[in-house]
Amino acid sequence: MMSPIDLCVLSAAVLACLMVGSLHLRLNLWMYGATTMFIALATAMTAQAHAEISLIYIALLIAALKSAGIPLFLVWTSEKLNVHRDVGAMIPPPLAMHLSIGLFALSFILTRGLPAPEMEATGWYGAAAGISLLFTGLVVMLTRRLAIGQILGFLVIENGIYVFALTQTLGMPLLVEMGVLLDMLVGVMVSGLLVFKIQKSFEHIDVAQLTSLKE
Amino acid sequence: MNGAELHLLRSCSHWVLFALSVVFVPPLCLGIIRKTKARLQNRIGPPLFQPLFDILKLCRKGETLSSTMSGTFRISTVVVFATMLVLAWMTPWLCFKPWSPNADLFLIVYLFALARVFTLLGALDSGSAFGAFGASREVTLGLLVEPALLLGLVALGIFCGSSDLRLVFAYSPLQSTGVSGAPGIWLLVGVSILLSSLVELSRMPVDDPTTHLELTMVHEAMVLEASGRNLALIEFAHALRMSILFGLSAQCFVHAAAAVWRMSPLTQGILNIAGIGLIAISVGVLESLSVKLQWRKVPEFVAYVVSMSLLAALVAAGSGVTKL
Repeated sequence: MMSPIDLCVLSAAVLACLMVGSLHLRLNLWMYGATTMFIALATAMTAQAHAEISLIYIALLIAALKSAGIPLFLVWTSEKLNVHRDVGAMIPPPLAMHLSIGLFALSFILTRGLPAPEMEATGWYGAAAGISLLFTGLVVMLTRRLAIGQILGFLVIENGIYVFALTQTLGMPLLVEMGVLLDMLVGVMVSGLLVFKIQKSFEHIDVAQLTSLKE
Repeated sequence: MNGAELHLLRSCSHWVLFALSVVFVPPLCLGIIRKTKARLQNRIGPPLFQPLFDILKLCRKGETLSSTMSGTFRISTVVVFATMLVLAWMTPWLCFKPWSPNADLFLIVYLFALARVFTLLGALDSGSAFGAFGASREVTLGLLVEPALLLGLVALGIFCGSSDLRLVFAYSPLQSTGVSGAPGIWLLVGVSILLSSLVELSRMPVDDPTTHLELTMVHEAMVLEASGRNLALIEFAHALRMSILFGLSAQCFVHAAAAVWRMSPLTQGILNIAGIGLIAISVGVLESLSVKLQWRKVPEFVAYVVSMSLLAALVAAGSGVTKL
């Protein structure tokens, strides 16, 4: 039987898969925010289930920083740069969405083969959702050409790692988790600035064309 | 009153209720959508049964036939209408549907396709260029959306272990055991059928049904040449197709709710009808708020419908694995 925590992380994984289907940057970023909100909810519910007070703080931090702060910052960045749509690369977005749903199914099969000592029912779905988020992030990074899309893919991968850790080991200690969150925030800020810089130097933020820098 | 009489009475009442719904639900569905749109535009709007009055009025009018038409045009209308009636009888779009011989999901999907083919033939036979335009668009849309609809229904079929939609929906109050559990799959398939019906009926995100520009029409372009009784039959068949598809998706939502809360067959029946009305209202709201998609963006919209069906198929396959 599925617990509410499983339902939350699985919804996050499905929402991330649906995110791949659109190239609209603002829609993508808000969907990423919603995905992260589900993960924050799952964290809060884990905290309640295991009476871990530190997880509550982490949930609040995730909801504030990752699901509201980062999308807001990146939306602001894209407005400033005046880019609204990704160009897309390799696979058209509808097919990429179907591919990531296929990978969602694959992650369930992979989870069955994990050499975990004993998977509880909760851990099982959580691990599958985590691996699926990893794959989805990979698909996003492969199918986007703009720098903001690459950042988005990286963020989704980070979410996947976090979900995997949360459902398998009840998360890291508060200090480590806060350090990771801070690093993420700084990472996104720095990459945002980098995007500005790229735009200024090359008048586009298409990472596929950056290879021409090589001598 | 003994058991046999009670049974007879019950099946009679089902037939009467069913006949009443087949006549009144389709125009009511259209009426609700038009009324919702009118209210959202601050107009009073036509009465709810105006589509029915329109159809009755059309029946009294004479008709004009183009000189290039062959008999196909007349036959196509009748075939489409008859197919829709058969579909209404077989498809479990209502809880209180009377007995029917078969409701295989492949048969139902391809009967819908048969009706579409005859609409196309009629449009091509009329000899008007707009008819051919509409026909080509309709084929494109049908091609895109058919896998989604089929995959969603097949997911339900796998989940319930039968390709017979009667068993899948277990619509009769007598067999209320049905398939319970997993409200998720019912919800996903319900959403998938609802979204694919929007494409299938060429409604708002895909096509504007009230457009006056022939170049962008899909369904209306195909029936431009029809008039009088022909038009009345086509309009009614279209409305019936709409209520069958909305009814199927409302049934899915009712089953999703029934998997969570226990409810009596009577409540299910009422919820079923209310669900069709609610879907019609939400379609009206959607049509007032959204803008028509660019024609090249339609496959992206359909991709989301396919995704819903794919997810439902995943849930079905997953539940099969856990059962083993």
